[in-house]
Amino acid sequence: MPPAHHPNRDTVTTIREDGSRRFLYPADVRGRFSLARRISALLLIAVYALLPWIPVGGYPAVFLDVAARRFHLFGLTLAAQDIWLLFFLITGLGFLLFIVTALFGRLWCGWACPQTVFLDHVYRRIERWVEGDGVQRRTLADAPWGPGKIARAAVKHAAYIVVSLGIAHLFLAYYVSIPALWAMMTGAPGRHWAAFVFIALATGVVYFNFAWFREQLCIIICPYGRLQSVLTDDHTLIIGYDAARGEPRGPAGAHAAGDCIACDRCVRVCPTGIDIRQGLQMECIGCAACVDACDEVMAHTGRPPGLVRYDSLAGLARKPKRIWRPRLAIYSVLLLFGATAATWGVLSIHPVLLTAIRLTGAPYYLDQGIVRNQYLVRLVNKQNSPATVRLDVSGLRPGASARGVEDAIEVPPMGEELRPLIIEQSRSTYQGPFAFRVHAADPAEGVDVGLSLEFLGPATAGSYP
Amino acid sequence: MNEEKKITIEFNDGIVRQFLIATLVWAIVAMLVGVLIAAQLNFWQLNFGTSWLTWSRLRPLHTNAAIFAFVGNMMFAGVYYSTQRLVKARLASNFLSQLHFWGWQAIIVSAAATLPFGLTRGKEYAELIWPINVMVVIVWVVFAVNFFWTLARRNEPSLYVAIWFYIATIITVAMLYIVNHLAIPTSWTHSYGVFGGVQDALVQWWYGHNAVAFFLTTPILGIMYYFLPKAAERPVYSYRLSVVHFWSLVFVYIWAGPHHLLNTALPTWLQNLGMTFSLMLWAPSWGGMLNGLLTLRGAWDKVRTDPVLKFFAAAVTFYGMATFEGPMLAIRSVNALAHYTDWIIAHVHAGTLGWNGFMAAGMIYWLLPRLWNKPLHSVALANAHFWIGLVGILLYVGAMWTSGITQGVMLNATVDNGTALAYPNFLDTVNAIRPMMLMRVIGGALYLTGWFLMAYNAIRTVRGAQAVNGTIEVIAPSADEKPEIKPLGLVGTFINPPVLFSLIGGGFLCAWMFGGDVLKICGLVGALVCFALAYAHMESRGKSWAAWYDRLLVTALPFTVLTFVAVVAGGLIQIIPTVVANQAMNVEDRRQIPYTPLELSGFDLYVSNGCYLCHSQMIRTLMPDVLRYGDYSRLGESIYDHPFEWGSKRNGPDLARVGGKYPNVWHLRHLDDPRAISPGSNMPSFHWLLADKLDLSNLARRIDVQRQLGVPYPPMSAEEILASAHRQAAQVADDLAKAGAPTPPDREVIALIAYLQHLGKFEIVPGRAPDPNRIGD
Amino acid sequence: MTDPKKTHPSDTDIRPHTFDGIQEFNHRLPNWWLFTLYGAVVFWLCYWSYYQWFHEGPDDRHRIQAELVQVEAAKLAAMASSHLDNASLWAMSRNPVIVASGRKTFEANCTPCHLASLRGRSENKLAIGPDLTVRIWIHGGHPIDLYHTVTQGVPAKGMPTWGPILGPRRITEAVAYVLSHHQEGEPIIDAATLPPGSK
Repeated sequence: MPPAHHPNRDTVTTIREDGSRRFLYPADVRGRFSLARRISALLLIAVYALLPWIPVGGYPAVFLDVAARRFHLFGLTLAAQDIWLLFFLITGLGFLLFIVTALFGRLWCGWACPQTVFLDHVYRRIERWVEGDGVQRRTLADAPWGPGKIARAAVKHAAYIVVSLGIAHLFLAYYVSIPALWAMMTGAPGRHWAAFVFIALATGVVYFNFAWFREQLCIIICPYGRLQSVLTDDHTLIIGYDAARGEPRGPAGAHAAGDCIACDRCVRVCPTGIDIRQGLQMECIGCAACVDACDEVMAHTGRPPGLVRYDSLAGLARKPKRIWRPRLAIYSVLLLFGATAATWGVLSIHPVLLTAIRLTGAPYYLDQGIVRNQYLVRLVNKQNSPATVRLDVSGLRPGASARGVEDAIEVPPMGEELRPLIIEQSRSTYQGPFAFRVHAADPAEGVDVGLSLEFLGPATAGSYP
Repeated sequence: MNEEKKITIEFNDGIVRQFLIATLVWAIVAMLVGVLIAAQLNFWQLNFGTSWLTWSRLRPLHTNAAIFAFVGNMMFAGVYYSTQRLVKARLASNFLSQLHFWGWQAIIVSAAATLPFGLTRGKEYAELIWPINVMVVIVWVVFAVNFFWTLARRNEPSLYVAIWFYIATIITVAMLYIVNHLAIPTSWTHSYGVFGGVQDALVQWWYGHNAVAFFLTTPILGIMYYFLPKAAERPVYSYRLSVVHFWSLVFVYIWAGPHHLLNTALPTWLQNLGMTFSLMLWAPSWGGMLNGLLTLRGAWDKVRTDPVLKFFAAAVTFYGMATFEGPMLAIRSVNALAHYTDWIIAHVHAGTLGWNGFMAAGMIYWLLPRLWNKPLHSVALANAHFWIGLVGILLYVGAMWTSGITQGVMLNATVDNGTALAYPNFLDTVNAIRPMMLMRVIGGALYLTGWFLMAYNAIRTVRGAQAVNGTIEVIAPSADEKPEIKPLGLVGTFINPPVLFSLIGGGFLCAWMFGGDVLKICGLVGALVCFALAYAHMESRGKSWAAWYDRLLVTALPFTVLTFVAVVAGGLIQIIPTVVANQAMNVEDRRQIPYTPLELSGFDLYVSNGCYLCHSQMIRTLMPDVLRYGDYSRLGESIYDHPFEWGSKRNGPDLARVGGKYPNVWHLRHLDDPRAISPGSNMPSFHWLLADKLDLSNLARRIDVQRQLGVPYPPMSAEEILASAHRQAAQVADDLAKAGAPTPPDREVIALIAYLQHLGKFEIVPGRAPDPNRIGD
Repeated sequence: MTDPKKTHPSDTDIRPHTFDGIQEFNHRLPNWWLFTLYGAVVFWLCYWSYYQWFHEGPDDRHRIQAELVQVEAAKLAAMASSHLDNASLWAMSRNPVIVASGRKTFEANCTPCHLASLRGRSENKLAIGPDLTVRIWIHGGHPIDLYHTVTQGVPAKGMPTWGPILGPRRITEAVAYVLSHHQEGEPIIDAATLPPGSK
């Protein structure tokens, strides 16, 4: 049976000439890549499902507590002031993907992207289980509505909705933690409308995406698929058809025919509706289904596998292959550089944060022959244990003294304390502005942070303006 | 076909080469300034103690150079190259072409010679002083005449989609530019815009948003429609899509301006229009993205090897990302978090670096071998440019997203049931993003490096090459020959199903939007009936619609007129009610107290030093804003500001109610050395304000112009004005001396302090409280 | 829509005209893309009707006013008493729990100027703040005046604006602590009412 539609390079398979959607019913495929993909996908799903449950250092392994502006990552706790480290996450992932894509093409799309992982290994499995293989699914879709079709549709969509609910709830768990999620799930929706509406919307979006939208996301919406395409070059490993070996196509044993027997198995298994034999295409997500499909056919016809295979375009053209390219070296250096900076950044996060501002009012006060500057010191404790901090002022000019640093300050866990700091200098000794330092130290916790402040006063002869 | 009738036309490619070289030069200048000012945010000392290298003076130079010098020259190169070929005619006039080129470069040089010295109108992307504005208008008219004259002499009757976009660009930019630059001069270098306060805000962002639309988007889409299929050697994916997305894009874009003013004192109905039309804009924008992408689809295997296609594929992708993000940012709740933060900076740079920069690079790499008839010096170097540019964008945009989200989260965070700010000190939020300010410099510098590679590649390609002009053989038109398709007359332009349905449907929708209850119901029913009829008619008589459009495409003038009708609608409906509404009554419950003469001088200093680029004067109707800066700003509290000072970015805190909050000496010391007052501040030191003497020579004329613009100054003679200024300056100086900071009263800083202390002063207006839901109120 | 004649892939669906070698297909747009445009228009119709026709949604001014009222209510609720006046402040100053927390706030924020004894300049001539235990007050003669002085500050003299820093609860508690150094209802004289020079 030929595929319902012959893909070509002028039209998009999944968009019919009247603009409506051509639904795809990819055939079953077995083989080493399909098996490896299923295993890796199940692992990834397990990681996604388990991270909010595993406690590390008293918090879930990943708990992005937006409400309290504390972000717990595998035992590390970051405050809002540390969000800048997110930059290293974004760009580090960026560089990693640059490298991976330069080496292996759209490996991410085919193997690790949640869209593919959930679609191929959850939703399409459900579909396969309820409605049968690709041919049966197409037949069923073309059949008129009857009790059997309605029953199957009901079961399938019910299962889709249950899975979508699960995905949405897990997603929320990353932001509110499992116990809070459970409390919300068991409470009335009216007590947490925001979460309820979020879950409803997220479930709807997930359901729509996986039940209907599917590969349209990859083809039309996703910018990353396209950026990956522009990141490939002649030496990138992609999925390709060995035209030199395969062409001209013909039935097995035909005179002068190449290895391709034109069975169209590769087209029928493709989840994005392309014919890999037409070359590298925008839709190809590198899932390797066609590789397994073709290898199976080659084995049946007694030919070596690899007519469709992972190879670089240079390799398919029988040109010398190159793995290391200058680009890769540059990306790696940048990645290393970023990783170093991120490590330094994480290490330089102090458990106690010290900031200071001037208290509202004048920059300085003149009172009883004294010049006075007033500051407000803020201490933030980012640990789960209390900190006992001692303030200290150094670098004051002779005649200047500090008030407000006498007593040790107890900063509660994850809390903050404010203290006024007042520096005074007699006008007779004041000889112009000077800089001094404030220190906050907690020897028990190994904390010692400092910052520089300026002491101001009235104009003195020759100093101002 | 008669052999004798064939004539050979030589295209004017010299002008394209000129614009192309200018593009390269100005791109590098614009990005160098960008990298410098990005570095200054982290290292304030990088103004080297001068006023003219200070961030707030250079930032307008960066934006103007990037938009008008870089993209402007790139646009002219692309328009002139493609138009000649698409209409099979040489540019109409060599003289006008040269006038256009040299006039435009003169404008850019004048901008660079005025902006750093504080000569500015103080409106974003409209900073150039009025004599340069006049030059811009003249040169733009030269461009328009040259373009339309060429169309008139065309040997290709039908207009290709790229030309549609060029036409939309030329007429819309002219309209936007002229309206937003209306001003009354007070001297050769200074003027006050005719709009003030909320009117000015609305007009400015009608202009500012559509500068993005019609200067950075539509011409580049036109360029995409020519160069992308040429480079890919593939047919355009869908003509039908071109038609739908062109008309929806030019019509809808204009309406979206108020999304720059969400949650401000702008009347609610305008905010609602801005938000909903921004959401509507998503599909038309993506129409262009889809058409480009799916055109490339057929040549996807070439994307891997051809740097030109790489640039185009990435540019189209960034266009898609930016135009997805844009509508999202226009949602009021998202905007509440993102507005005034670096997220917006990330958004615009994804657009300019990714879309404009990469489209320009792709176009230039495609043009270089063709204009100089020599293969590109190094394809590998072009690829390197691409890789390094992409890394630059990743770092830049990654940094600014992170920074914007950090700012948004910290500035809006509250504690104690929403009664107090979690981070009351603005500087805490600044210092949290200092590392990001460094990363953006690195990202920007990498992106700039790519352009240096391109400049080198271009020089090596051009050196020793022979410039060539393209030629084409056309059949000379003869008088007796009948055109294949009959052009449309005036009647045919307007009296036809598509236009009539659109106009009548639009009329009904206006009745629905602005009418009373009865009119609303009639309007809605009418619009729905009109839509149903139009749909039925199109389904049954689709061929006649297509035939009419084919006829429209062979007649440039009616096409231009219809485009103008489409773009003018949004502006008229938003601006006219706002401008004709009685200003003095239309103030909610508060009215701004006009500035004294000295304070007005301070206001002018605030503008010329670019304070508005980091400080807003608009406390939004959002709790975190109110908790941080005080009671939310009312419409009436800025009606006498020409230009309005609502700002668009908060690198520093809002100043709407800063008056009276600190003593004079605080401001003096803060302007002299911000870090002495605010530890960790990244504001540059404005020490020259303490040294430079205040120029009051033009003050009487300025007050005269303010009075003409409707600011209720009492009648004062020039002497009285000066006396008042001197008197107030002496008071401020006395107060400073008492606080131990004696300062001569004739310094600029005195006027600026007087102005800052006035901020937030208003009088209560008795009488009716206008209903912000009512249009015109 | 499902006309079978239309569903075959046709390479002939290309416009006859070429422009400088550029051809144009005339493919249909994906319907779902068109629906996003229609959807946005419908959203506009609904949104505008909701806000500008039926006036169901609050406009910005009413919304922010309502939020301000809520915040005020939350502030009141956060205070040690549900309403704030002289009597309630006096009452709190007799409550040992409130006074104890007020003492903590006072010692963390006020002692550098007013000293731990509250006696300020009476104890030490070089202290910054005035004595808070005497009966003549510089900024008003009622407990509620003291609350406002702390909240708004006296920037000219160096008393900071504590409102945004400490919040209403901690300020009321600190005021109660100060009042606990006075007898309940004892007459306090506003210095402004005294004849000049009598202090």
